[in-house]
Amino acid sequence: MKLADDPEVEEFRAQFAAFLDAHLPEEAEARERAGSSAHVPAWARRWQRTLFDACWLLPGQPPEYGGRNAGLPQQLAHLEELARRRIYHSFNPQGLGIIAASLLTFGTEEQKRRWAVPILRAEITAALGMSEPEAGSDLASLRTRAVADRDGFVVNGQKIWTSGAHDADVLLTFVRTDPEAPKHRGISALLIPTGAEGVVRRPFGSIAAEDDLDFNEVFLTDVRVPRGNLIGNVGEGWRVANGSLGHERTLLWLSYAERLEDLLRDAADAGAGQEWYATLRMDLTALRLLGYRQLGLDRDPAEISVLKLLGSEAVQSASLHALEAHGAEGLEHPKRTGPYHHMHHEHFISSWFERYARSFAGTIAGGTSEIQRNIIAERILGLPR
Amino acid sequence: MEFELDEEQQLLRRTVRETVAKVRSRPAGQQWDTYLRLGWLEAPPLELALILEELGYAADPTPFLATATWFAPLTGRLPEGSGTAVFDGVGRYVLDADRADEVALLTHRGVIVVRGTELAAERVPVLDPHLHAAHVGAEDLAAKVPDLALVGLAATCVGACRRVLDLVLDHVKQRVQFGRPLGSFQAVKHKAADMHVAIERARALTHFSALTIAEDDPRRADAAHMAKAAAGECQRLVFRHGLQLSGAMGFTWENELQYHLKRAQACDLLLGTASVHRKALLA
Ligand SMILES: Cc1cc2nc3c(=O)[nH]c(=O)nc-3n(C[C@H](O)[C@H](O)[C@H](O)COP(=O)(O)OP(=O)(O)OC[C@H]3O[C@@H](n4cnc5c(N)ncnc54)[C@H](O)[C@@H]3O)c2cc1C
Repeated sequence: MKLADDPEVEEFRAQFAAFLDAHLPEEAEARERAGSSAHVPAWARRWQRTLFDACWLLPGQPPEYGGRNAGLPQQLAHLEELARRRIYHSFNPQGLGIIAASLLTFGTEEQKRRWAVPILRAEITAALGMSEPEAGSDLASLRTRAVADRDGFVVNGQKIWTSGAHDADVLLTFVRTDPEAPKHRGISALLIPTGAEGVVRRPFGSIAAEDDLDFNEVFLTDVRVPRGNLIGNVGEGWRVANGSLGHERTLLWLSYAERLEDLLRDAADAGAGQEWYATLRMDLTALRLLGYRQLGLDRDPAEISVLKLLGSEAVQSASLHALEAHGAEGLEHPKRTGPYHHMHHEHFISSWFERYARSFAGTIAGGTSEIQRNIIAERILGLPR
Repeated sequence: MEFELDEEQQLLRRTVRETVAKVRSRPAGQQWDTYLRLGWLEAPPLELALILEELGYAADPTPFLATATWFAPLTGRLPEGSGTAVFDGVGRYVLDADRADEVALLTHRGVIVVRGTELAAERVPVLDPHLHAAHVGAEDLAAKVPDLALVGLAATCVGACRRVLDLVLDHVKQRVQFGRPLGSFQAVKHKAADMHVAIERARALTHFSALTIAEDDPRRADAAHMAKAAAGECQRLVFRHGLQLSGAMGFTWENELQYHLKRAQACDLLLGTASVHRKALLA
């Protein structure tokens, strides 16, 4: 254990910082907002492409996929440097972090070439179709059916909460291919182009605004999907799903840490002097320390639940406290566009109310806080199911 | 930074746990001798925190904590401190008070050690010509609490809390009600998970604080407040859920739980509760 930074990681960080200094988009051109996680403004596509070409997009990947085979501490430094400049590498974070990453792990060479690389180069965007009206926390109970026929599958069913689906070119969709098999076994992963016949998307507003369109209902009626769109083998969907989320989860804590840091800085600017501020500073420090620890030895993946729970709930209390501290002023809700507007140079300027409301994304999406507590109790503390 | 215990540190932790378990039934004096012989008193800050966590886990009865952290100055250099405990009182006829390098003060928050130069001490004439005594005017003395003392208490508290959680886990795995082990009920699981997260949070801040002392990092003052405050917050949650989940059994004298609950609570009350240290962080 030591406080000193690893010189190798710092060298890597310095290289990336120099790259960013030379290539960061101008503030003026970056003004244009994203309408959703998949509605990518032209400058942002260019930006993602610039990162890809210089092998600075996903540093953990090999060069042909926009990286440099870097280890986890380097990947962390990469995200930290981006965050320090308040810019993201992509407006399609799920496409990049989950869908392209799973294709690179589970896909064939052909699939990598056809979908992963275009997603990485910001030529197409992808959305994640996991949840269904009857399958939320209990994801394995999903019902969307895919029936195999001669050269592929015929899909029928409905997805919901599919972030960015209305602008996406392709959906990574989890479907039931074997209704007889035990719940977790009969699931497969299919890539479904949104332009395919029988795919209907209905975007709807989020809690922040009626026209804050990110959520979608996706209706799939007799959609024909070629066999080449199956990721992994038939029945391996659960493994792909866990792998897909695993890609995202390892460094997920960092986004909570950054959001918390922003909140605390903004709250301090607004004159917060209350004791909650000290507690949340402690949360932030502990989150970073536990995050670094996670990068150390091989740890139980269930420990990521500790980070997710601690991080998402700290962000939530920070925004609630800050909102309360502002009293009636907290009611104000200046209109902004798009959920990803904070991924710009400009300060995160949503209202306190909106920040609090949006904090529930962290405690609900990707496994709710209750589910994280179940995982900690059962997998780390050994309590019976 | 690297925030994972290295192999030696993990080994130390195991050794301490095994040693303490072995000597536990012996008289306190013998336990103490064992600790001294093993050189634990001279351990550097992070290792000391690991030892104290284990001693806290075992509700150790020896004077190790105070000796190793509050009185460390008597055996070496007075650590630069940040936390403050206000000593309000006047010491009368304190032997050697005006010429001592360091003075141990009994305050309402516990015993702390300060540099002699920080006291307004005035020698007083006494009948015995060879006796050197002074009155100590320390009305508003803000005595420096060594950072190490805060970390020592925090580490002890974390150990005690972990023990409470482990006892509770054993209990809820075994105890059957409504035909199921208590631990299979979610209301129980979620409390256990929250205790675990609070302990991990406090432990991380404790280790961080010990590291900042070891490396004399500029963040050390803040880190010590954070560690002590987090341990106090953790203790609160663990006390409440830990006692509650043990049912009436936890309310008895016979049950071991009481020692650990009380050790944890004591660690919060000594040298400033969580709230005191949160405020210090804001200052
Ligand atoms: C901002 C946002 C973006 C999202 N993006 C996507 C996306 O792109 N693609 C996608 O597929 N999905 C997405 N989701 C959906 C998300 O994965 C689900 O919302 C989540 O898994 C919870 O499911 P649910 O909403 O159906 O809640 P439910 O599962 O119905 O849960 C409702 C409440 O009951 C509790 N609960 C449920 N089960 C248990 C249990 N076993 N024990 C204790 N409590 C329980 C929950 O914790 C919660 O408090 C998104 C969600 C949000 C909020």
